[in-house]
Amino acid sequence: MSIAIEQLRHVRLACRVPEQAAAEAQQALGLREAFRQDGEIALRSDARAYTLILGDAAQGRSAIGLEVRDHAALGRAAEALAVRGIAARFDDALATRRQVKALLAFATPGGLDVELVWRPQHKGWRFFPSRDSGVTGLEAVAMRTPSLAQDEALWTELFGLSVRDWVGDAAYLGFDAAHHRLALHPSAQAGVLAVEYAVESVDKLMQQHYLLREQGATASHGPGRRPTSGQAFLSFPGPDGVHFSMIAEGRRIGPDDRPRQFPAEPSSYCAWGSDCAIAEFQPGAALRPRPALREVGKA
Amino acid sequence: MIALRDVCYVRLGTTDLDAARDYATTILGLEVAERSTRAVSLRSDHRAHTLTYFEGDPAAHTLAFEVDRREQLDEAAATLERLGHRVRQGSAVDAEQRRVRAFIGFDDPTGNAIELAWRPETGAGRYRGARDAGITGFSHVGLCSTDVERDERFWTTVCNARVSDRIGDAPLLRIDRVHHKIALFPSDRAGIQHINHQVASVDDIQRSHNLIREHGIAVVFGPGKHPTSSARFLYFEGPHGMVYEYSSGVCEISDELLYRERQFEFGPKGFCEWGAKPAIREFNT
Repeated sequence: MSIAIEQLRHVRLACRVPEQAAAEAQQALGLREAFRQDGEIALRSDARAYTLILGDAAQGRSAIGLEVRDHAALGRAAEALAVRGIAARFDDALATRRQVKALLAFATPGGLDVELVWRPQHKGWRFFPSRDSGVTGLEAVAMRTPSLAQDEALWTELFGLSVRDWVGDAAYLGFDAAHHRLALHPSAQAGVLAVEYAVESVDKLMQQHYLLREQGATASHGPGRRPTSGQAFLSFPGPDGVHFSMIAEGRRIGPDDRPRQFPAEPSSYCAWGSDCAIAEFQPGAALRPRPALREVGKA
Repeated sequence: MIALRDVCYVRLGTTDLDAARDYATTILGLEVAERSTRAVSLRSDHRAHTLTYFEGDPAAHTLAFEVDRREQLDEAAATLERLGHRVRQGSAVDAEQRRVRAFIGFDDPTGNAIELAWRPETGAGRYRGARDAGITGFSHVGLCSTDVERDERFWTTVCNARVSDRIGDAPLLRIDRVHHKIALFPSDRAGIQHINHQVASVDDIQRSHNLIREHGIAVVFGPGKHPTSSARFLYFEGPHGMVYEYSSGVCEISDELLYRERQFEFGPKGFCEWGAKPAIREFNT
């Protein structure tokens, strides 16, 4: 029996300068600081206590947080992972820091750190963005992985995620009505490729596009629309080689949907023909390892 | 009162008919309906044609409106002559070229060449554009005005237009439920300021934006969204400096009694709520 994932909960980014990364994330996305603890800065984007954590790269790698229904699921996950030869550990100290009742940490075969959490905190007072960015919440996370097939197998076989579409080898994985919550992209090194936030409408996304342009910044991809998910998107550089995306619209997955294979070409990533500066979305281009930032993305 | 039913067609002079035709098909995405050595007519929707390029002065622009009944042409002619406009009766040959049963021509107070046409022809077979631009039809025209107050009075009192909104002093005028079919922009010349075609979706606008850029054609405004009509838009350059617009999602005004026009600022924010800035002479102070 698979261990059901309830929710994509948070992303922890390993940064060279967390302070600066947090300031930029707040400015760019309208997120709001929730709390700071042990050198980590947690930012809120919706009813969840936080969805983005900016931490020092020296103190740990980037990770994603996923919620499970009950404590027993964590135990089952630990056993199932052990069978596959993946070591998982209950980390009480990290659970306290993440404000959850229990936490099981492990790394996927590709080298992505995962934090399975139980009873993460929900806030009673509504989220009030730091600027009118239109952000409504954490939508999805795109990940780089050097072992795509093994990671895909782990997520689908053990955690019950389903492949919603493929672009070349890249896989879009979902566990609820959203087209996808996790996307795996082949890369030379493991890590977070993009943290994606939903915004109210395409209007907010286009306003961001012109705002960036006014600031002399350039988008890394888009504005565009994904033929796979139907999402309108705008991606722009975030901290340490990670991108932020604003997402609007997109189709819901129904019982009749089945995964489709799209060719590995630019038109599979954008139906509007937008410019793209993200290496992972440039099929055919030889994937070079990311520049070795201090400790970032290393085991 | 001259009851305008809808915009009908636009006629533009050109010194390079082949280049104009190539632009209208490969860039704009229209379908060639008819061509002679002197003119090329293009379809954008169910109508036989909505845009004609003819060999002539590139500054010669004509905008035509459809009227419902033959008598309205005579009534309009009488009204216009009483007001001092010289009215030209369309010849049978010219009517045949325009694919209409009858028409008259006159100049509006600024000097824009306007035609009123009766029974314009519907195209045979469905419209199929030269490229997948998503065009659903010719929809409105921006007109240059040397005195917008005077011209607004002409279009709203001599004709049946109503003000839907104003951007600064520039009125957006409707003659049916669509937010605007005519827009008047302050200028020092007469002529058509821009020509609008509706496209099916915002996707068509964004796709065309990248395609047009790749062709090295100047995008002069957008992609953006008009706060007035809520339409998503893209303005880009055509032959002889003409500005073409694609838009999608223009709102309709169905309650003539309760609708009240609004005043928007004459500046980038009055023209676009996404933050695009126009590089169009008539849209800038």
